[in-house]
Amino acid sequence: MLPPAPTVWRVYVNQEPVDLIAGMTVRHALISARLLEEVERGDRRVYDAWGNEVGLEGALAPEMKLYVK
Amino acid sequence: MKRTIITLLSLVILFLAVSPLAADGTSLRILYVNDFHGYAEPYKAKGDGPLQGGMAYLAAQVQQLRRERPTLLLAAGDMIRGDTWANLFQGFSVIELMNAMKFDAMVVGNHEFDYGLKVLKEIIAKAKFPILGANVAGLPALKPYVIKNLNGVKIAIIGLVTPKTPKLTNPKDVQGLKFLSPEMTARKYIQQLKNRAEVIIVLSHLGYPADRALAEKVTGIDVIVGGHTHTRLEKPARVNNTIIVQAWEYGKALGVLDLTRKDGKISLAEGRLEEIHPKPGEEDPAISKIVARYQQKMDGVLQQVVGETEVDLDADNARSRETNFGDLVTDIMRQRAGVEVALINGGTLRRSIPRGPIRKKDLYSALPFDNYVVALKLTGKQIQETLEHGVSAVEQKAGRFPQVSGLTFTYNPALPVGSRVKEVFIGGQLLKPDQEYTVATNDYLAAGGGGYTVFKAVLQGEADYQPQVEMGKGGKVVYSKPGKLLRDAVMDFLQAQGKVAPALEGRIKEVD
Repeated sequence: MLPPAPTVWRVYVNQEPVDLIAGMTVRHALISARLLEEVERGDRRVYDAWGNEVGLEGALAPEMKLYVK
Repeated sequence: MKRTIITLLSLVILFLAVSPLAADGTSLRILYVNDFHGYAEPYKAKGDGPLQGGMAYLAAQVQQLRRERPTLLLAAGDMIRGDTWANLFQGFSVIELMNAMKFDAMVVGNHEFDYGLKVLKEIIAKAKFPILGANVAGLPALKPYVIKNLNGVKIAIIGLVTPKTPKLTNPKDVQGLKFLSPEMTARKYIQQLKNRAEVIIVLSHLGYPADRALAEKVTGIDVIVGGHTHTRLEKPARVNNTIIVQAWEYGKALGVLDLTRKDGKISLAEGRLEEIHPKPGEEDPAISKIVARYQQKMDGVLQQVVGETEVDLDADNARSRETNFGDLVTDIMRQRAGVEVALINGGTLRRSIPRGPIRKKDLYSALPFDNYVVALKLTGKQIQETLEHGVSAVEQKAGRFPQVSGLTFTYNPALPVGSRVKEVFIGGQLLKPDQEYTVATNDYLAAGGGGYTVFKAVLQGEADYQPQVEMGKGGKVVYSKPGKLLRDAVMDFLQAQGKVAPALEGRIKEVD
């Protein structure tokens, strides 16, 4: 059996920590980091730690790193 | 004699060329999609952007690629819920599409549970392909794996879904199920399958970081076809001896992985994403018909009556004062979350509903965003700050103006921003600054949207202090149901009530 999953996850957007409720998505991380509008306009995109673009409804995981550029 | 030997040798060579032993040097093609979420029609990611995706166009591409070499078509989860095209039919529209496209296998994603177990079982029964979930205990309809024979090569496909699924959907939708360790499950089935299959694929809804971690820890996986994180992996990644792929989202791309198998192992792997740019005339006609048929049915479904209101439900004034619609929605939220207070931004309500029957389309217009309800513990002081923010731009009728349930407050808009809120009562008692209260809101505000930074501040630091605390037991988060949209909660309420007639109650009063 796995231990209970944490309720609040910390992820990083452009290396700044963002704490979100488990189940929130890339979109919520950008809301918290105040970067959603730029991405929705198409001015910038979101990438994971390996340089792959990710969608706004992509799932998060604890300690995940996102980069908006 | 010489002739006989030559003839015999020729026969041996011919036999080897066609026998399964000639699997070495064999070409295989894996086509894959993930996180389709019912986006059957082409769509624009942003208003002035190009049209992308469209299942009829993706299907045409699949057909063309299938003609070139033996192929499997796989789905890495989160297929049946998301867009209205899927939601209004509880995912059965998607299954009909996938049956027509002859998918070979699918892994269950966390969103496949959102319609409840009864519907999921019906979905699995309707699917003409196996739906997998090796690490889900308690749902026998989900198979752990399937073995396919492709061009003489036995390929085992093991399905794994994120063990965080219970946090991502309604608990009652996964009642009685256990989500086991993907790593231990993978090892178990690889051990069972290694002598029965020549290639092992994990069809994964774990997310790309978890796929990489799985490949680090578990040997024997040839390919991980992934989903969940909506990752646009343009080229396959490789961790140790495992190839990892993922095809973005919403049918905007079709993943293509070409494998060559030689001397008992994969000697060559080439992959790419084929982006789907719909061009009229290039769609698969059979799939196009299915998409169009459900599109037409949608209009009928949206006309369905879910309840009746004996008064106009006012959203027009939700950005400047208490409205009966705001009262109704926040009451539903408070009841649903079982908390003391509910608060949303008036901007959540986008359209009033006139007196009379309430149709599904009315709710989709009134609550167009896919928000869901969350609840946190806030101190009285934090609630006061939240209300101050809510009334800070009332002159501009900004969307942040609050609608509330379980509390009443007065405010003076003539006073400076930050000092406008006068008295706050919760449950009839004057608010106590240091007391904690349970407050429901929507996910947008909880993430700090609309400038509601108090909710953000409540979560800040929680991750450090209680990494293993279960929801509602000592932590700040008391409720979160990503799998149940606020709109659907309102719909359920109206269907249960039949008739509503919410009246203003004086929850928000402007004073001098």
